[in-house]
Amino acid sequence: MLDRVRRPWSDHSAERLLGAVACLLAVGIILMIVFIVRGAWPTFSHEGLSWLGSGGSPDSQLGAMAYTSSKPPPSAFVVHAWPLIYGTILTAGFAVLFALAISLAASIFIVDFAPPLVRRTMKPIIRLLAAVPGVLYGLVGILVLVPLINKYLVTESEQQSVANVIQLTGGGLGITIVLVTLMITPIMTALITDALESVPRAWREGAIALGLNPLRATLAVSLRAIRPAIIAATGLAAARAIGEAIVVSMVSGGNSFAPNPADGKIFFFEPVETLGSEIVRVAEDLGAPAVHSTLYAFAALLLFSSFALSLSAYLVKLPLRRYQVSS
Amino acid sequence: MSARERLANARSGKLRPAARQSSENVALPIDNLELTADLMSVTPEKADSTTQVAGTAAHGRERLRLDDVSVFYGNTPAVKNVSLSISHGEVLALIGPSGCGKTTLLRTLNRLTELTPNASHSGQILLDGDEIDELVDTDLRSRISMVFQQPNPFPMSIFDNVGFALREQSRRRPRRPELEPLVNQALQRAGLYEEVRGDLGRSALRLSGGQQQRLCIARAIAQKPEILLMDEPCSALDPRSTAVIEDLIGQLSKDLTIVIVTHNLQQARRIADRVAFMYLGDLVEIGETEQIFTAPREQQTREYIAGVFG
Repeated sequence: MLDRVRRPWSDHSAERLLGAVACLLAVGIILMIVFIVRGAWPTFSHEGLSWLGSGGSPDSQLGAMAYTSSKPPPSAFVVHAWPLIYGTILTAGFAVLFALAISLAASIFIVDFAPPLVRRTMKPIIRLLAAVPGVLYGLVGILVLVPLINKYLVTESEQQSVANVIQLTGGGLGITIVLVTLMITPIMTALITDALESVPRAWREGAIALGLNPLRATLAVSLRAIRPAIIAATGLAAARAIGEAIVVSMVSGGNSFAPNPADGKIFFFEPVETLGSEIVRVAEDLGAPAVHSTLYAFAALLLFSSFALSLSAYLVKLPLRRYQVSS
Repeated sequence: MSARERLANARSGKLRPAARQSSENVALPIDNLELTADLMSVTPEKADSTTQVAGTAAHGRERLRLDDVSVFYGNTPAVKNVSLSISHGEVLALIGPSGCGKTTLLRTLNRLTELTPNASHSGQILLDGDEIDELVDTDLRSRISMVFQQPNPFPMSIFDNVGFALREQSRRRPRRPELEPLVNQALQRAGLYEEVRGDLGRSALRLSGGQQQRLCIARAIAQKPEILLMDEPCSALDPRSTAVIEDLIGQLSKDLTIVIVTHNLQQARRIADRVAFMYLGDLVEIGETEQIFTAPREQQTREYIAGVFG
């Protein structure tokens, strides 16, 4: 019996085994989609897509749902999630933009300009940062940064000016963006650094030999060559930023308010809630069927958005592959 | 019959069977046609032009002058006290065994050694009388262009490759119609135009190795440099592509100064006006090609040519 196991596998059976694992993965994903859509079905059947719109505060709507009966009437499912969707787009959008700028600059420095010693130390540090559990950022945020912002950046008069609508506590859009940026930058930097390092040295050297300065050579040849990798890294980071829940719920201010850019500086101190953080915050009320269904609807939206993100990243990359050898 | 003509004829004779043989291979029909046509038309003309200058010491005015140039990696000298001058329109070949410093010397001429962290050089290198260290490095490199050992086309279209330097060097990004004549001209001078015309949007990485190297030559000459450095440009190529590029070097040397590093002695003999033999960082001997190959002054040169070492 043991002999049978020890015998080297034929290519054929190895192939079948690997195929089975891949199929299992696909089945798992499909089951997850079915599960989520089924859970969200009451909300979709009662509300259609109108729950994506705006009107009132999702916090109070979900709060009301928690007290509905176990057989809620269709009217119990009313929710307008726009402030959460807007909050998700706002935090993820800003965070991805900042992270892209930072990780491009950092990768270019590490690969093409840093002295060897700096390069050798920076690379493992960035990988380490990418592996830091996100909740640590949340802890530092809520214990250190939020009080600091409240003390030094938000003035008494600013708090007074909006006191009858929201409370400015220090937590809010700004600190959320900063933390999400911190969380996604290391992995983006690691991916872009790897891509830049795989660019043949001869390309950049060739560009320099044609009279370009080293930075122009990097931008015009290397960065151009790794555009597909940059897009892929951005897509991955965006998906993570959209779905980030725990850290956001820790520092976002705990109010599903839609920050208004017209408010100027206060905009960044206004509380915000994302789809993910709202799920975390309301999860304790999952016993109520209406809450249950609504949170599944949020989850379905998140799932759909991340699929849409990876699909669009793939589509954007397609025309860029034209000049690669293997296309 | 001059030695040069003999060699040229020997080469065409030697290569014809190869060309005929490979004409059965339909993969690269254009290369074959190109080659046989080139060999017939170019060879006599080239023999003429080179016999004219064989005896004279210089073609034209002096372009590049090296005075006591040494190049170091850290404290180790890779090139020791080299002095020589290069005139307008000549082809100078640097020969010598591996590690003799010929590539280092070549890369010093356009200050590409500066990319190597601990490289430095002493002595003077003058381009038209100006110390090259005092020129702006990017200006210097657009005047002294370079072709590398491995073809290194950028992952872009053929057009974008050839127009690359022109685009990047101009303050205002030139539009395609403005670039087109310059790109076409460069491709024509590099002998690639006929093969790629009509599809300049194709990826440069899909060309054959020989075509890629000619593309790199086109790219290097598009911004009209004064001097072209070539670092073993044929060592990664098959004999047919090599012959095409050697002919091209003959054509280009009419209005370009060319310094070429080569491992291949016979290639140096075929294409160079003068040859410099380097050994372990020293410039052992420099002279007219025929003199180096038939009557070398130094014992080391004689032995290297004869194949005693290297």
